[in-house]
Amino acid sequence: MNPASKLKITTLDRRRFLCGTGWALALPLFESLSLSKVLASKEKNTPKRLGCFYFPDGVPMPLPEDPAYKDWAWFPRGNGNDFEFTRTMEPLQDLKKEITVLSGLSHPAGRNVHGHNNADQFLTAAATGSGDMTYNNSISLDQLYAHHVGDQTRFASLVMSTDGGAGTARGAHTISFNRQGRAIPAENRPKQIFDMLFVKSDADAAKQLAHSQSALDDLLTDTRRLKKRLSSDDQARLDEYLQSVREAEIRVQKAKKWLNTPLPKVDGGKLNLEITPDEPRLYLQTMFELIYLAFKTDSTRVASYQIGRENGVGISDRLAKAVGFSAAHQLSHDTKQQGGWKNFGTYCRFLHEEYARFIQRLGQTPEPGGDGSLLDNTLLFFGSASSAFHLSRNYPLILAGGKSMGFTHGQYLNHTNGKAYQGGWKPGDPEPWTKKATQEDLPLSNLFVSMLQRLGVETEAFADSTGRLDGV
Amino acid sequence: MNYRRNFCLLILWFTGTCAGLSATHSPTLEDLRKKGILESSLRKHSNLPAKTLSPKVNLEQFESEIQPILKAHCTPCHGPDKSKARLRIDELNPNLVKGNDADWWLEVQAVLSNGEMPPADEPEMPGLDRGKVMEWLSGEIRTASITRRATGGYSSFRRMTKYEYNYALQDLLGLPWNFARDLPPEAHSEDGFKNSSENLHMSVTQLETYRRIAKKALSRATVQGPKPSVIYWGGTMDEVGKVDWQKQAAKVEKTRQELEGNPEAQEQKIEQLFRDFQKTHRRPYFKNLQNGHTVPQSWSYGGARHALNPTDIPPAVPKSAGHVAIIPQGARQKLVVELGEKIPDEGILRVRVRASNNSKTKGNIPTMQLDFGWQASNEGRALMRVSDQDVEIDAPPEDPHFYQWDVILGDIYPRNSVRKTSRMGSTPSPSEHLRLVNNSVNKGEIQIDYVEVSGPIHDQWPPASHRRIFFESSQSSNENAYAREILMTFMPRAWRRSIADEEVNQKLVLFQTMRNDCETFEEAMIEVLATVLSSPNFLYLSRDGADIDSEKNPPKSSLLSQHELASRLSMFLWCSLPDDRLRNMARLGQLSNESTLRNEVSRMLEDARSERFTQEFVHQWLDMQLLDFLNTDNKLDTSLKEAMKLETILFFQEVLRHNESLLNFLHSDFTMANERLAKHYKLSNIKGSEFRRVRLNQASRRGGMLTHAGLLAMNSSGNDSNPLKRGIWMLESFLNDPPPPPPPAVPEIDLADPEIAKMTLKERIEDHRNHAACMSCHIKIDPWGIAFENYDSRGLWRAEINGKPVDSTSRLYNNEPLAGMLGLKRFLLKNRQDQFVLALTHKLCVFALGRPLTFSDRSLLEEIASSVRQKDDGLRALIMEIATSKLFLSK
Repeated sequence: MNPASKLKITTLDRRRFLCGTGWALALPLFESLSLSKVLASKEKNTPKRLGCFYFPDGVPMPLPEDPAYKDWAWFPRGNGNDFEFTRTMEPLQDLKKEITVLSGLSHPAGRNVHGHNNADQFLTAAATGSGDMTYNNSISLDQLYAHHVGDQTRFASLVMSTDGGAGTARGAHTISFNRQGRAIPAENRPKQIFDMLFVKSDADAAKQLAHSQSALDDLLTDTRRLKKRLSSDDQARLDEYLQSVREAEIRVQKAKKWLNTPLPKVDGGKLNLEITPDEPRLYLQTMFELIYLAFKTDSTRVASYQIGRENGVGISDRLAKAVGFSAAHQLSHDTKQQGGWKNFGTYCRFLHEEYARFIQRLGQTPEPGGDGSLLDNTLLFFGSASSAFHLSRNYPLILAGGKSMGFTHGQYLNHTNGKAYQGGWKPGDPEPWTKKATQEDLPLSNLFVSMLQRLGVETEAFADSTGRLDGV
Repeated sequence: MNYRRNFCLLILWFTGTCAGLSATHSPTLEDLRKKGILESSLRKHSNLPAKTLSPKVNLEQFESEIQPILKAHCTPCHGPDKSKARLRIDELNPNLVKGNDADWWLEVQAVLSNGEMPPADEPEMPGLDRGKVMEWLSGEIRTASITRRATGGYSSFRRMTKYEYNYALQDLLGLPWNFARDLPPEAHSEDGFKNSSENLHMSVTQLETYRRIAKKALSRATVQGPKPSVIYWGGTMDEVGKVDWQKQAAKVEKTRQELEGNPEAQEQKIEQLFRDFQKTHRRPYFKNLQNGHTVPQSWSYGGARHALNPTDIPPAVPKSAGHVAIIPQGARQKLVVELGEKIPDEGILRVRVRASNNSKTKGNIPTMQLDFGWQASNEGRALMRVSDQDVEIDAPPEDPHFYQWDVILGDIYPRNSVRKTSRMGSTPSPSEHLRLVNNSVNKGEIQIDYVEVSGPIHDQWPPASHRRIFFESSQSSNENAYAREILMTFMPRAWRRSIADEEVNQKLVLFQTMRNDCETFEEAMIEVLATVLSSPNFLYLSRDGADIDSEKNPPKSSLLSQHELASRLSMFLWCSLPDDRLRNMARLGQLSNESTLRNEVSRMLEDARSERFTQEFVHQWLDMQLLDFLNTDNKLDTSLKEAMKLETILFFQEVLRHNESLLNFLHSDFTMANERLAKHYKLSNIKGSEFRRVRLNQASRRGGMLTHAGLLAMNSSGNDSNPLKRGIWMLESFLNDPPPPPPPAVPEIDLADPEIAKMTLKERIEDHRNHAACMSCHIKIDPWGIAFENYDSRGLWRAEINGKPVDSTSRLYNNEPLAGMLGLKRFLLKNRQDQFVLALTHKLCVFALGRPLTFSDRSLLEEIASSVRQKDDGLRALIMEIATSKLFLSK
């Protein structure tokens, strides 16, 4: 079920709401949880966090001959440690040493699919396809990590978007997908997010946990009784089941502990929790601030935010108001008109301004009870599944933070060497995504493998990866 | 004169004999089959060892007779000087009971009986010697296997697979729905089967998924509250095509207005338009029967303008139609019937379409497929097939019939996720639709004049599935008593055995705990039943050490208890739980009577649920997931791929049903086909989508599974055949003799080399393996695969490749020539019947027992194979032999 933004939290079935929005509560057994190692003692290590951010419709990619190229092309000029931003990315100038820009990466299954279908697969790499056909997706990067660390915090992950809800297949309003590949509906109302994090405690969760406990006790009794009747070889096989029940019980205990722990005290007075995307700049600031607060209070260590859905037609399209335009998506179409690149670039720059502000905030806050700043212990992944017009190749990507995990930053990892597709489109031209690729991208999942490994997940693969991406 | 007559007679006699001789020089496949049966040693296999009380190893005979033979013929290559294949035959322990080399001795037996050893370029082993070794070996193997049964082997204790779990829920709840979608799929074991105990594990993630699925399944099967009201949609082709008709009318009106001042030109133009409107179209179109005007359907999602309006009362069905829709043939030809946002989440959606056969060619019967889809925005859309099988539209145009589908709404994924939150007419559009697809093989046209949709359909209220769990009871007012009753009905079915008092009481305690928090009795009950279905008693196919009904079988017996046997039988033949009747017989101890057991097996094979056995076993035995993964394209479309799959499965089923010889799998004079498959094979006069038995003649170059198009296509690489895949597949599936896996560093064939580019595939393979390290394995694999070379990547016969004639001849390891497919079949029928029968028996037993077989099972396996050979290799007889064998009845 997909609760709409209109429905009030008080009138909803709370349990359904909990399952239905971006709140993957750390409820064991009867909600989805991971297969991570069972820790006997409390985790004392510094948290490792992951934030994933998505913006739609690609970035300005004028041809080098075009006068707009110098100021508004998105990808930096240069390579390695020696690179220059254009005006589009200028807001990140002061953070140059804290970020890594990447080019030449994309998910193979989506390269010949029209870009507007591809927000769905940005974090999953699945072959979600397009058109009148069946649809299947798989687990997203953030949810995989949430399974790993989710039970360390009250909330396993925080899933947000400007448009809210899950959207539809191939028109997702979320970039997070669970283990079965189902979309996790995103929350878009600041007040609801704040209330869940810091105001309302969860009576329903207590009931859920009590049920879990009772059922597990019952299953344990069944298992013990059955075990007595088996040969020793068969007992060993049943032990797998027994072990699973025990793991589940430990998780129930952990979750119960959270229920009995008071919510963090946060002063929401400075935030305008009634803000909507009609005031785009303030809205974005508020949404980023909520993630910041969630991280700072260790309410969760995994967050995702889809800043806009693909192909406009929704709330997020109005974000362009911040820079004097009515529709954000249309800007990506009008690039061949007078001032087209500049307009599109100006909107992108606005998004980068607010994102830079968020990174700064994390960088200036010391890690509570640990070393360095929040930013040092938080890996941020920001990008789109399109570069040039509707073209799902050479994704524009920025990594930030996570220096304590081994990320050096201050570099532009340029895997295209100038051979990537550039140029806008006007009606009558063949669309860039229908043409043969001008160069072979690397699988984006390889970067995901590197990220997961640095986050502490023992893995050699993610989805269609062919290995790890070195150099980050 | 006498001389002349005698001379003529002599000539006649001579030529007659020659003819006779030449007849024996090229026996038919049928002749070879009969000959192979007569020469079968399995068939002559006696049952002596079963009566031996304390089997002894025969080391004296080994030392006096066997060892010298091995020393003379084997040790030179497999001894201290040379140890080919790393085998030191002089070091093998001849005591197969106590020693560790039993598996090596099995290898020795195999290569000697196949004639693979000694190799063709070595001195031959005299027949007498070979016979002595074989006899000694068979005896020792049997002895050792019997002795080791008591100590060694694998256990059958395992959890249910995903597909067994799904069938179990279907049978338990009485609904043919897809409940287990969220479970991860199983990998195949080494033997190729999913239900093998070694591979089936459990994790906390899986545990939570089981409980979640169980709860959802129980919620879907039961109901709360009053019967939901039914929603109806009814549409004539006037209504379904309203937008298109309006557009056409607007066109006419526009012309009329434009030429207002000029009546002559106006009339002329309009007449011109009306003439244009008379034409037929290549895509689905509507037709006004009164004036003959047509308009093609141009469906688009914007504004949901094409949607029919739902009503609360059943719409009146018009007697005759003023408008029709015509769908030309082609899997892409789909008529959209848009229904809006009110299609329910769960339950049955009944779709009725009044249609007729509009084909121009006599004898063509079109078939219709049903799709379900939606489009919310430009990109946000999906479409999927919801009909299990195509329906033949055979009604004549003057007397159209209603054709009906019942669609399981809860199984459709993904639905339009904004159907409850977005407004009709806006974007994203919440509307959903059906598409009627003309999926005919031939050029049949479908004509439609009315569509009626309704849902959710419940034939009774509460539905049967609800009443199965929450049945009528005099105790229903006393919650605890009613809960106990429900559990006493549900638990024995789910756990496949009698339930002890303490077990029910434990669940009742759980019920009371849940009931405190739940609003309704039903909600609490579902929590408890979901726990019953998450218990290892449900999930695991247990081996009870002490059965509840243990007075029927002594606990220390090596035989399965009655309930365990019932479970094993139903898992084997139905891939699911025993039904009430089988459970009852187990409870009363009746399955220990052999003739009762045989009757039950017959009943189970007659039951429709045994189709699951055919599907699952054949799919896993022949590794048909390769066919599932095959990409479709213009030449190998979805209909053909499905027909290919069904050919193999239904062929097995046909042989089973009539207890025909399983040698038919090697070669047969018939196959199963429908029109689509017949078109592919170029067999004429087979119409319709139903599969039926089709006689094959020699010219068809088909017969048996080795020439099934699907099995050939799945063992190909892109556009070309793949002899290696085919060879390995045949060795694994048919002879249970898979080659060892390839070494890690295999160099690639350099196709850029002009010399290599000129070669045929067969030449390339020979060149590529012309390396000592590769030769030893590949000499055993490639020749088998080359025999398939006349069949291309879609399983079609070809005499040439790129202008060169196909060379499908090869030589086996022992220099025996194989001349193409015919040669391969001849060889198998003449020399490898026993090996095939043993292989298939082995595969069936692995599937039936749910565990790998080991050396210790060997003797019992041979007993079964031998029995079935004596029963003319009947497939049904084989199943019966297995189900009543000591192997099956033992733990």
